[in-house]
Amino acid sequence: MSEHMTSHAEAYRSGRALGLQPLKLGMWLFLASEVMFFGGLISAFLHYKVNNPSTEGALLDVPLVGVNTFVLLTSSFTVVLGLSAIRQGDRRGLVRFLAATVLLGVAFLGGQAYEFVSLYGHGVTLNGSLFGSTFFTLTGFHGLHVLIGLIWALSTLYGALRGRYAADRYEGVEVFGLYWHFVDVVWIVLFTIIYLV
Amino acid sequence: MTTPSVEPHAGPRRLTYAIVFLILAALTAIEIALSMLGVDPALRTPAFLVLSLAKATLVAVFYMHLRHDSRLYAFVFIVPVILFALFAGVTLIP
Repeated sequence: MSEHMTSHAEAYRSGRALGLQPLKLGMWLFLASEVMFFGGLISAFLHYKVNNPSTEGALLDVPLVGVNTFVLLTSSFTVVLGLSAIRQGDRRGLVRFLAATVLLGVAFLGGQAYEFVSLYGHGVTLNGSLFGSTFFTLTGFHGLHVLIGLIWALSTLYGALRGRYAADRYEGVEVFGLYWHFVDVVWIVLFTIIYLV
Repeated sequence: MTTPSVEPHAGPRRLTYAIVFLILAALTAIEIALSMLGVDPALRTPAFLVLSLAKATLVAVFYMHLRHDSRLYAFVFIVPVILFALFAGVTLIP
C-alpha cells in the first residue's frame, strides 16, 4: 500500500517537474473528448448540408449571429484579462472580469434564444426537417455548453469573492478559462459551417 | 483548486491578449462583410474556412496558452482535431 502511494507521489512530482498540472491535463483530455463529441454533430450537419441542401438556411440571420459571435469572443477576452489580473494578485480585477464574462455569456444565450424563437416562428423546428434537426441539435448542445460554462463562471466568481484565488493560486481560474475558450473555439467553427459557408 | 499553480513561464501580457482580441474582431467583421457581399461561393468558401481556422488557432495558441504550456497539452488536443477533420472530410463524400 505504501509502495503504491510512493509511486503515485513520485509520478505526481515528476509530472509537475515537467511543467504538467494534473488538473489542466485532465481538462485537456476532457476537451479532447469534447472535440469528438462536437465532431460527430458537425459531421452530421455537414453531410446533410452538402447532400440534402435546404432553403431554410436562407432564414438564418447572419448579422445578428455575427454580433453574438463578437459577444462570445469578447467574453474570452475578459476571461484572459481576469486570469492576468489574478496572476498579478489583483483579486478585484478578477472579480470584475469574471462578472463581465457572466454578463456576456448571458447576452450570448439571450441572442441564441431570440434566434431559436424567430426560426420557430418561420416554421423551422427541431423535428420539422433534416435542417431543423441538425441545426437545433448542434447549436442547442453548444448553448448547453455555454450554460454550463456560465454556472462554472458564477462558481469561480463566488470563489474569487471569497478569496479562493491569489497570485500563486489561480489554477481554478485557468482551468475554467480553458473550458470557456474551448466553447468559443467551437462557436468559431459553427459560425463558419452553419452561417457562412 | 487550492494546489499552488505551476508557473513555468511569465505568460502573455495584457497587450498580447488585446492585440489578439482586435485581430479576432477584425476577422469576424471581414467574415460578416464577405457574407453580405455578392462574392462567388467558390472564392468565398475557402476564405471563410481559412479565416475560421485562423481565429480558432489564435484562441487556442494565445488564450488557451498552448504557445507557452507543455507540448503534451497541445498533442492531446490536436490529435482528435486531426481525426475530426479526416472524419468530416469522409462524410462529405456523396
